[in-house]
Amino acid sequence: MIIEISSSGGFGGIPAAAMHKRIDVDQQAPSLRQEICDAFEPRDLRQLAARSGNSRGADRMVYRITVTDRQDGPHVYDIREDQLPAEILDLIDQM
Amino acid sequence: MCISVCPGGTHHPIQCIVPPHMLRVIALRGDERTAEMARSLLKQNQKLRQEREDHPHPCNQGDEAPAAIAGGGNTRAGSTFTPDRRVHDGQQKAALPGKLLRGEGDSPSDNADVDLMYDAMGEVFSLYADQFDRNSLDGSGLALIATVNHRRNYNNAFWNGDQMAFGNGDGQLFRTFMDLSVIAHEMTHGVIQYSGGLVYQDQSGALNESIADVFAAITQQRQLGQAAHEADWIIGSELLGPAIKGVGLRSMKAPGTAYSDDLLGQDPQPFHMDNFLSTSDDNGGVHINSGIPNHAFYLFCMLLGGNSWEKPGQIWYRALQELNNPMASFAEWSDQTVAAAIELYGTGSPEALLLRRAWKLVGLPT
Ligand SMILES: [Zn+2]
Repeated sequence: MIIEISSSGGFGGIPAAAMHKRIDVDQQAPSLRQEICDAFEPRDLRQLAARSGNSRGADRMVYRITVTDRQDGPHVYDIREDQLPAEILDLIDQM
Repeated sequence: MCISVCPGGTHHPIQCIVPPHMLRVIALRGDERTAEMARSLLKQNQKLRQEREDHPHPCNQGDEAPAAIAGGGNTRAGSTFTPDRRVHDGQQKAALPGKLLRGEGDSPSDNADVDLMYDAMGEVFSLYADQFDRNSLDGSGLALIATVNHRRNYNNAFWNGDQMAFGNGDGQLFRTFMDLSVIAHEMTHGVIQYSGGLVYQDQSGALNESIADVFAAITQQRQLGQAAHEADWIIGSELLGPAIKGVGLRSMKAPGTAYSDDLLGQDPQPFHMDNFLSTSDDNGGVHINSGIPNHAFYLFCMLLGGNSWEKPGQIWYRALQELNNPMASFAEWSDQTVAAAIELYGTGSPEALLLRRAWKLVGLPT
C-alpha cells in the first residue's frame, strides 16, 4: 500500500510551500505499519472528508491523501487539517 | 482631552498626561504595582466618560472616536476592557490547546515565544479596545487562546473558530510564524467571525483575508507610530527563511512583489480587478485575490494621509459591523465602506471622495 499526502492552503496560500510525502507502507517497520494502516482506514478517511466542508476558522491547510493498494487502485480524500485527529497529524509529521 | 475642567470627575494629573491607550499598555505590560495603578486610572477614566455622557459639556465635543457600533454589545466602556490571555505550548504536537504556560497577569515565562505571543495579543486587544471600543474578539471579553510550537516543521498559523495556533516553520521556507502582523491577522479572523462572518470561499473569503490583513497592518503601524506613508505595508516580514528572496508574505503597497524566489515562486497577488484570478485552489484563491481590496485600503490611506488606525480604520471597522452579508462580493464590500465613510464623515467629505477614488483605481467603481 502506498500513501501520498500533499497539502494546500494555509496562511501563505503558496503552492510551493506545500507538503509532499509518499510512504510505501510495506517498507515500514511492522509496528509503524499497523499504526499507519489503522490511521488511514478508507472508511474513516471517507467520513472525515465528508465533514471537511465550510466551517468557522481561517488559514487552515487541506490535505489530499491518496491511498493506493494493489487490489482496488487509488482512493483520493481531501480533508481539512482540523478534521484529522491529532494522532494522525502527529503521524503525518513523523512519517 | 480637557478632563481637568469638566465638572463632577475626580481629577488625576497623570490622566491628562498619559492617554488611555498608553495606560492600557502599562496595564498590560508593567510590573504588578504600575499595572494596578494604570488599571485604577483606567477605571476612573471610564467613570469620567460615563459622567460626561450623562452631563454633556461643551469641552467634551469632538475628542472621542466615533461612537461604538453594533458588534456584540457591552462595548461602551472601551478604556476599561482588560484581556484574558492564555498562551499554550503545543510541544510540537497537534493536540490543541496544549500545555498552559502563561495566563493573564502571570509574570513572564522563560519561553521567548510564549512572551512574544502574550505581548502581541495585548497589542491587538488594545487596538480593538482603544480605537474601536471593542472588548476582545467577540465584543464581550472572549478569552484569547493561542498555541505556540504547534506541530513539527509546521509552515502555517491559523484561527480554528475558537483559538489560534502557530507553527515554527520548516526553517527553510519559513523561519517563524510569530510575527505581530500574523498574530493580528489571526485575531482579526476571530473579530470577523463574531461580526457576522464572511464565508471562507471565493470573493467573500478573499474579503475575509483582506480585512484580516488590513487590521494586521493597522496594528503594526499603530505599534510603531507610523503614518501611512512611513509604513512598509508588508504582512509577515519576519516569516521568510534566511535564503528566500523576498521582503515578506504579502505587500499591500505593491501586491505581487513581496517575494520572487526559486523555491517559493513568485508572489501571485493581483492589485487590480483586471488580474482577478479564478482558481479552485486555496478556497478559490482567498490569499491571492485579497491583494485587490488590500491595495484599495493602502491607496485610500495614502490619498487621505495620516494614520491608518484613525479614519481609514474607523471606516473599515464600521463597514464590517454593518455589512450583514456573509457572501459579500468585492463590489458589495466597496459599497459598504463608502456608505460607512458617508455616515461617519458626510457625503461630500474628502474621506468619501478619496475612498471612491481608491476603489476605482483597483477596478471597483462604487
Ligand atoms: Zn487568514
